[in-house]
Amino acid sequence: MDSFTLYGEQIRSRLLIGSALYPSPSIMTESIVASGADIVTVSLRRQQSAQAGDDFWQLIKNTGLKVLPNTAGCHSVKEAVTLAQMCREVFATDWIKLELIGDEYNLQPDPFALLEATKILLDEGFKVLPYCTDDLVLCQRLADLGCEVLMPWGAPIGTGKGLLNPYNLRMIRERLPSHTLIVDAGLGLPSHACQALELGYDAVLLNSAIAGAGCPVTMSHAFRSAVEAGRYSYLAKAMPEKDVASPSTPTMGMPFWHQN
Amino acid sequence: MSFKIAILGFGLTGRLTALALSKVHQVSVYEQDDQHAANSAGNVAAAMLAPLAESVLCEQDIALLGLASIQRWQQIISELDEPVYFQQAGSLVVAHQQDKGDLHSFISRLKPLAEHTADTVSSAQIADLEPELAGRFHQGVYLPCEGQLDNQAFYAASYNQLVARQVSFNWHSHITLTGHKVNGQSYDFVFDCRGLGAKTALPSLRGVRGEVARLYAPEVNLSRPVRLMHPRYPIYIAPKPNHQFVIGATEIESHDTGKVTVRSALELLSAAYTVHSGFAEARIESLQSGLRPAFADNRPQVTREGRVISLNGLYRHGYLLAPYVVDEAISLMT
Repeated sequence: MDSFTLYGEQIRSRLLIGSALYPSPSIMTESIVASGADIVTVSLRRQQSAQAGDDFWQLIKNTGLKVLPNTAGCHSVKEAVTLAQMCREVFATDWIKLELIGDEYNLQPDPFALLEATKILLDEGFKVLPYCTDDLVLCQRLADLGCEVLMPWGAPIGTGKGLLNPYNLRMIRERLPSHTLIVDAGLGLPSHACQALELGYDAVLLNSAIAGAGCPVTMSHAFRSAVEAGRYSYLAKAMPEKDVASPSTPTMGMPFWHQN
Repeated sequence: MSFKIAILGFGLTGRLTALALSKVHQVSVYEQDDQHAANSAGNVAAAMLAPLAESVLCEQDIALLGLASIQRWQQIISELDEPVYFQQAGSLVVAHQQDKGDLHSFISRLKPLAEHTADTVSSAQIADLEPELAGRFHQGVYLPCEGQLDNQAFYAASYNQLVARQVSFNWHSHITLTGHKVNGQSYDFVFDCRGLGAKTALPSLRGVRGEVARLYAPEVNLSRPVRLMHPRYPIYIAPKPNHQFVIGATEIESHDTGKVTVRSALELLSAAYTVHSGFAEARIESLQSGLRPAFADNRPQVTREGRVISLNGLYRHGYLLAPYVVDEAISLMT
């Protein structure tokens, strides 16, 4: 399969996988391997700073994958910026998945604070991957600030509802054709991931859909296949949809009274 | 035949091992702290015996061992001279209306445990089980097989029992284990029950931080453990004697041993308040944090190397699995 670009780096797997909520670290490791992912996301809580989270980080490091730290759980610009700075130190990477919660209940990103924090972090040299809603204007503003990657949601985090607004997502894809777009959050089924790739999205990022499945490792395999199917489907350019059936077998030789 | 035995660590598994072995053997306990082992996971824990609820997250064999441990606990407590509160009156799982998806997900993931079932209960049935929750929840699940005990009473009673049996104690002990010698003293068998204190010997062991609040809430009357399903703050409320309640517990992949954070305290206490508004006037007796020792698969391990028997990695299933794990460890003496 072809690769995509993430701030100048070529990434092969179009599935980015999270590292939370698995039944055990062993199952997490197996699921990550089964996903074929090149990038794993991790969240840093204050109590995990310095040496305190070493054992868990060692497991992540042992996967050999690139780490994409996130600012999960931050509600203010200051919190997110501080956590991003801590992440850069702990994980030695400029990448940051910027997550800034606006609504405590459905964890909807705060678009206004997100723009403000994105600007600060880009100015500090971070490569920001903003987790945002599927609002075209917000995505344009983030792109104007200098984000090369945008991560609109499919649905609220952890809901597993899939792509709630394919129209919005398609519009963002059409209007920002040269940006790397990743559907982040809300996916529940492999078919949701396939649909995102069919829309022309470069990748999907998910966690709960695998970690919360009855058998995370098997579900990880399923998502890996779905992402490949979606990408091939996009590259193959699907046939146009029609309202009237057209036969796939030639009608020549069929009696004329059967042809209507 | 009576053996000379050293037990390293005086947390939950150390106490159970000492109780079992001191009946016939000459036991010496080594503990880095004092007789309270206040920072041990077994002291901080809520001591729930919830094999059915835990089956949602653990393998079935673990849940079945937990089920068997409930009977073992009754026996262990009955052999103590001092009374220790033990209860098997089931537990109740509830969710607020907006979180019913989490409750349904919980129900769908319960594993079958012998003949023990989970009973879906209506608002009226919740009120029958716990009158003070009447009208607060529309739907819940009752798990009749589950129980709990008062772990801090068990800690005190087990220590007194072992003192009466003339077990020798070495407090504030910096432990050096060389072969079957502890701090230069030779033993027939050494039981390593140190939890994370054994990390040097067991490098794959990790700490999983947990935080709990202990409250005195005279206005709250709950007769059995209640779990609240919530997308982010799932908690349990374990009622102990005299209106004491344990609210727990966070689960953070970290071996940070610092005090409870404001965020965790807010999460635990506000979730408890949404279950019963009587917690508003409760007194906070303590906010404690502890580290659960765990291996990568979150399953316990019992191993023997020479004359050293090691039992560790009980993760969040300390009280649920300790009787089984200790029996297993003692069986390795032969």
